[in-house]
Amino acid sequence: MSMTMAKLGMGLLLALGLGAAAADTVKVGVIMSSSGPFARWGEQFRQAIEVYQKQHGKTVKGNTIEVIYRDDGGPNPVRAKQLAEELILRDKVQFLAGFVFTPNALAVADLITEAKMPTVIFNAATGMITRKSPYFVRTSHTIPQAAVPIGQWAAKNGIKRVVTAVSDYAPGHDAEVYFSKAFKAGGGEVLESIRIPLSTNDFSPFFERILQQKPDAVFVFGPGGPPTVGLINTWASRLKPAGIKFLGTAETQQIDLPKIGRAALGVVTSFHYTETVDNPLNKALWADLQQMFGKDTVPDLASVGAYDGMHLIYKAVERFGPRPTGDQALGLWKGVAFDSPRGPVRIDEKTRDIVENIYMRRVEERDGQLVNVNFQTIPMVKDPWKEENPE
Amino acid sequence: MSALTVVLDGVAYGMVLFIISVGLTVTMGLMRVVNLAHGAFAMIGGYVAAVALGAGVPFLAAALGATLVAGLTGALAEALIYRPLYRKGELAQALMTFGFTFVVIAALTAVFGSNIKALPLPGYLSGLVDIGYRMYPAYRLFVIAFGLALAFALWLLIDRSLYGARLRAAVDNPRIARAVGIDVNRLFLLTFAGGCALAGLGGVLGSELLPLEPYYALRYLVLFLLVVGVGGVGNFKGSFVAAIALGLIDTSAKYYLPSAAAYLFYGAVLALLLWRPDGLMPARSAQ
Repeated sequence: MSMTMAKLGMGLLLALGLGAAAADTVKVGVIMSSSGPFARWGEQFRQAIEVYQKQHGKTVKGNTIEVIYRDDGGPNPVRAKQLAEELILRDKVQFLAGFVFTPNALAVADLITEAKMPTVIFNAATGMITRKSPYFVRTSHTIPQAAVPIGQWAAKNGIKRVVTAVSDYAPGHDAEVYFSKAFKAGGGEVLESIRIPLSTNDFSPFFERILQQKPDAVFVFGPGGPPTVGLINTWASRLKPAGIKFLGTAETQQIDLPKIGRAALGVVTSFHYTETVDNPLNKALWADLQQMFGKDTVPDLASVGAYDGMHLIYKAVERFGPRPTGDQALGLWKGVAFDSPRGPVRIDEKTRDIVENIYMRRVEERDGQLVNVNFQTIPMVKDPWKEENPE
Repeated sequence: MSALTVVLDGVAYGMVLFIISVGLTVTMGLMRVVNLAHGAFAMIGGYVAAVALGAGVPFLAAALGATLVAGLTGALAEALIYRPLYRKGELAQALMTFGFTFVVIAALTAVFGSNIKALPLPGYLSGLVDIGYRMYPAYRLFVIAFGLALAFALWLLIDRSLYGARLRAAVDNPRIARAVGIDVNRLFLLTFAGGCALAGLGGVLGSELLPLEPYYALRYLVLFLLVVGVGGVGNFKGSFVAAIALGLIDTSAKYYLPSAAAYLFYGAVLALLLWRPDGLMPARSAQ
């Protein structure tokens, strides 16, 4: 639309007395880590949001969606809360979103309850977060959501004895507990549960210990980031030759596979997003990411969390206009089902948590590239933590 | 036989710690600069090697190039940043070198992004070797052999050569050293560059265990300082013993008592420093 036409349009609207109500700016405050060691999260969020806005336009029924990015620098609840206060009080945002880390999401729970602020969690994956405020909704996953299906799968697929080796922090403990429960319920035996200190650089002593116990597989929950490379390489040189399988969750995201290298071949993981999943939304996400940000851009769990979170926000503005109340937005989101690049998803009516497919995948080489390939889909998994801890 | 594997793993990890920390023993220990930017030089070396490997340069040539670039960067930094700091006291040195580290982190993030940078090992180092009773990673054997050779070369250079004697004299008393005709500035420039070159080399050879990313310089700083501190500031033989000891303690704790591994490592460091507050082998000339 040319400027004159826009002006003409505005004039008409004003003449009709509709200007203010019809076209407005909707501010979305995204709290994320875009500096420091976790800067990749912020980058992936932002790129996915920009792709969503490219695909769906920056306006919804004439209302401009403006995204305001704020950097919490990492796990820093005090900073996250302060940013949320600023976004709500000074910038007057209509939605809060983002949150890479659990403590940062928890820190804003009371605040968003008081402000009735609809808040979309793009990542933070501890089960209980959404319980802490009725205005939370989550578009990522929870740790037990992936750990339970792989425990069940292992028990059903000839794996009898497992050693678990998880990073010694809360998500690792969750993974250990829920994997073990599901695996034992299926008749499996857990020989030992090792907790690996977060400061570990050399994983070989742990894996040597596991080698002596001769399990069928090791279930690993890594600390994420750089140590993943050493973790998988050590498995490949110590346990793989002895036929001990590597079971995991987020250790083999495609974005990390080139750094891990061929050592990752054969690793079996369960996860809610497989980069090679075949659906039109995923293809469009890949195409637009690479067209806008370079051919080396690869989507990951952060990308789909942010992309689907934007979808919820767009839907709320489409339905209720530029100023939806928290209760309107949450009312719309509860029970809503939609298609995501990861596959079909639904926001649970009661828990406001995402219900989604969990994919069993294996790392393979295709056209000279290391990728995750799905070999089984466990449809529409709910967060097991909430099933086990009823309100 | 598993005990032998634990010893091998422990020595290999210790050698990685030695190779990467020995440069800090030179700059911080011998020259007595609080050099918190050691990891930054190691990282510069690592990234140079990553770029070179990406361009198809063979691994050892890339490692050599990384060593040279880290050394040159060190020489430049010595002349521009460190020399004015020698007489400024430890707080100024700590602040300045820490700030320099942040500049390097930001620069590397801006150019390469915040992701891990992989340094793929060449075929002859990435495989497994038959060592009689089992297959063992070739890389670890290489690291052990290289660490021993490096320790021997440094011993010759610092304890047995004229350069070493001059350096020790210049560190102990720069004024008298100047008076007897030693070019202290040039000596310090060379030595500092050497320390940084060793850092760069360590960044490349250690990247299997300490993977490269922009926050490398801070993530492993405590580890580098521990090796130098436990060994005795200013004594590279102490660093050698400390690195091997820490590697063995860490590895055997993780193998035999995984649930207590985190406490045992730092507990051992604490006990060692309580027993010998100046480190296992304090430098004879330490003031």
